[in-house]
Amino acid sequence: MTKALTLADVNVTIKGSHILQGVNFEVEAGVVTGLLGRNGVGKSTTLRSIVGLVPRVGSIKLFEQEISGLKTHEVIRAGVAFVPEDREIFSTLTVLENLKLAERDKNPDYDTVYNLFPELLKRKSQRAGTLSGGQQQMVAVARALLNKTKLLLVDEPTKGLAPKLVTEVADALEVAAQATTILLVEQNLPLIKRIAKNIIVMDQGVVVHSGVPTELENPEFAKQMLGVSGGSH
Amino acid sequence: MEIFITLFITGFGLGALYFLVASGLSLIYGLMGVLNFAHGAFLTAGAYATWYFTTSIRADGSLSSYVISLFIAGVVGALFAVATEQILIKYLYDRHIDQALVTVGLGFVATSAYLGWFGSDPLIVLPPTQLYNTVQIGDAFVGIDRFLYIGVAALVLIANFLMMRYTRIGLIIRAGVENRSMVTALGIDVRKAFTFVFFIGGFAAGLGGALATTYASGVGPTLGDAFLIYAFITVVIGGMGSVPGTAIAAIVVGTTQVLVNYYVQGLGDFVVVMLLALVLLVRPQGLLGKVAH
Amino acid sequence: MNLLPGKYRYVPVLAMVFFGVAAFTPILNEPGLQQTFAVAFLFAALALTYDLLLGFTGLLSFGHALYYAAGAYGAAYAMARWDWGIIPAGIFAMVFATLIALFTGATALRVKGIAFAMVTLAFAEAGHVIAVLNMWGLSNGDQTLQLNFDSVPDFFLGVNNTRNLYLLALVTLILIYVAVWWLTQSSMGRVLQALRDNEERVSVLGLKPFNFKLIAFVLAGVMAAFVGVIAVIVTNNANPVMGSTQTTISLLLMVILGGIATRWGAVIGGLIYVVLSQRLTTLDTQGALSGLPEWIGGPMSEPAFILGVIFILVVMFSPGGIAGALYRLRMKFGSSVK
Ligand SMILES: Nc1ncnc2c1ncn2[C@@H]1O[C@H](COP(=O)(O)OP(=O)(O)OP(=O)(O)O)[C@@H](O)[C@H]1O
Ligand SMILES: [Mg+2]
Repeated sequence: MTKALTLADVNVTIKGSHILQGVNFEVEAGVVTGLLGRNGVGKSTTLRSIVGLVPRVGSIKLFEQEISGLKTHEVIRAGVAFVPEDREIFSTLTVLENLKLAERDKNPDYDTVYNLFPELLKRKSQRAGTLSGGQQQMVAVARALLNKTKLLLVDEPTKGLAPKLVTEVADALEVAAQATTILLVEQNLPLIKRIAKNIIVMDQGVVVHSGVPTELENPEFAKQMLGVSGGSH
Repeated sequence: MEIFITLFITGFGLGALYFLVASGLSLIYGLMGVLNFAHGAFLTAGAYATWYFTTSIRADGSLSSYVISLFIAGVVGALFAVATEQILIKYLYDRHIDQALVTVGLGFVATSAYLGWFGSDPLIVLPPTQLYNTVQIGDAFVGIDRFLYIGVAALVLIANFLMMRYTRIGLIIRAGVENRSMVTALGIDVRKAFTFVFFIGGFAAGLGGALATTYASGVGPTLGDAFLIYAFITVVIGGMGSVPGTAIAAIVVGTTQVLVNYYVQGLGDFVVVMLLALVLLVRPQGLLGKVAH
Repeated sequence: MNLLPGKYRYVPVLAMVFFGVAAFTPILNEPGLQQTFAVAFLFAALALTYDLLLGFTGLLSFGHALYYAAGAYGAAYAMARWDWGIIPAGIFAMVFATLIALFTGATALRVKGIAFAMVTLAFAEAGHVIAVLNMWGLSNGDQTLQLNFDSVPDFFLGVNNTRNLYLLALVTLILIYVAVWWLTQSSMGRVLQALRDNEERVSVLGLKPFNFKLIAFVLAGVMAAFVGVIAVIVTNNANPVMGSTQTTISLLLMVILGGIATRWGAVIGGLIYVVLSQRLTTLDTQGALSGLPEWIGGPMSEPAFILGVIFILVVMFSPGGIAGALYRLRMKFGSSVK
């Protein structure tokens, strides 16, 4: 298996609290990997450490390249796209300006983006701050799909969305997955079962399990690992 | 009524000068979180450049020499500002208090260097004779230089607007003011934008310095410091990071100051600082700005 | 943070004793030098009160000079216009400054960070404007408000008595030092430092951060006013520069130069600042810089130039100032010996 991403002994300390305490895992290239865990165990911090938005120590490899010493914009330019947990779209900019800002390639792929989210084409001159939560999430995902990437990091893209929008976002991720590797933080277990090939489970700042989504069928496992009854959906 | 018109336009002109200083301060703060106490020194540098050019290089007192000197003053201010960012600010990345402290130190150093080079007495800068004319509005006569300040500030405001709206660097600045770390998370090296805002902020301050030599009939070492305090007040009232907010606040501050000072000498300065306190307490983020952090 | 380990604790005491005794020996016998040091002691005391805000409470104020000036003008006014003696005039000045500090502090503390710095700057600037322009005839403007010589005892008057002024300033510094030391060691001081480090944690304990910060703000203001009263006696006037932003900025320089939140760092910063700025000027008038080319000699003859450069270097390369540098040296030295 080719490894798109390898974390070895990654530690993050913010304002004196030791949040990641030696995180180790590998992400298989070309597929979707789910990163799971209870609230507050450090999933978002893990993604943020990969792109250098929090100070981190340890080794982070993107394919063969060591990226733990790079600045955030350098990590992104090395071929990573990041969809943060709270969307973090620019609310004073229009939809189109949000997308323009994210352009890196010579020929950004607006076709794919507008095919997946026709709504964004319709609303391209609207200020992003006035979009609904779901539409804002589309902008956040679209920003990541404009350029060719080696690795896509997505943090809870379906949080707070209506079921129909959840499906739309899932479709988008599936399309993206045909061309890139995805590491997906998600609480929605049916979604994980639908699109992920592998899962990684974190607890209290470390990885406690690596496996496959079918393990989530077992209610005991889901309860023990995630504190939820994931099998009964 | 005549006196009111004269005072109002004079105040408006002073506000235009405040705007030239404050627009750069506001952008630098909005984007980088740096409160730049050295900004007054950029202005003074521009003012001395004007003095030097119009007395030693082209001392013909012509309008064209004056216009060229405005441009040169802008460039001098911009170069000073870029050097400040590259030599001092850059290495204190994300140490906001230290960045502010370094600019305090630089302002201190610059003022005393000017003192050592040029002496404490103001050097006289004579504007071209055309600027001594007055314009009649109704029954009131207003010095034509007031309109020059307003015109230059308006040009800067428009250029700023076009740059912000239609260029990529403008897009990056607007986004960066809102959420800097997300800009980097889109693969953009936001530090280039830092250098750029110092450049345009320094240019506007240098221009302001050149015009201030006309407003104050000369330049002394502390010319910029005098403007800096009111520019700070303007920025905070207008809202950090908002150039339109800064423009509105500059007019409010300039006209209030001049009008009230006419009736009670000094009271205008007093009223303006009280206005600042009031605005901050009612609306801590300023008129149009993001929440100050 | 306390950088003085137990065995060095007596160093400040020794230093004060030294300065006291020195005034009676040839080392510090000359009135000019004594006057310089008297002013230096007062600025060191003022820097200490500023450190109480900046270092021990985490409040960056750009208006601290206002309370210093309020103390000076309050006392000078009561003496000059009402013929009050120095003691009642001093008490009046401190009450006056307390009221101003209460009002301005309670207003400014409603906002945080840079906004707080700006509001304090604005209030101080308002005071400065009153003083400069002699509004309502209060201040005498640039003419300065002169000390009424009938209001102070004779032994504080005249060049022959400079040593007494020197000692008065030294005692003032010691008093302020002890007061700040006591305050920062007290349980309130510990709350203030906790506030500086993490405000939320303090609010969780049910303490109101606002109240504590206001108390610190007013206490620092009152102590600055006290220094202002003494300054009128030592320098014979109250003048607008006392309330200028420039004065607050020089306090900031002193505290950062010496080392923040260490108490004696502020004292050293204040002493070095004043003595250097006065002696560097002398250096120039003696022609020590005449060999240098004009473009560098000019600025070098301005003490503020050199102080500013040192300040920038300290901020960039030696966070913690002189105190921090000494501390690091000692750590390095200590560990290499072991
Ligand atoms: N900037 C910060 N300052 C202090 N603590 C932080 C910071 N960022 C994260 N933490 C703490 O680190 C821990 C992990 O946070 P993180 O956001 O990574 O969790 P998460 O697994 O993504 O949780 P969730 O599922 O709720 O999104 C939490 O306890 C959080 O409070
Ligand atoms: Mg999270």
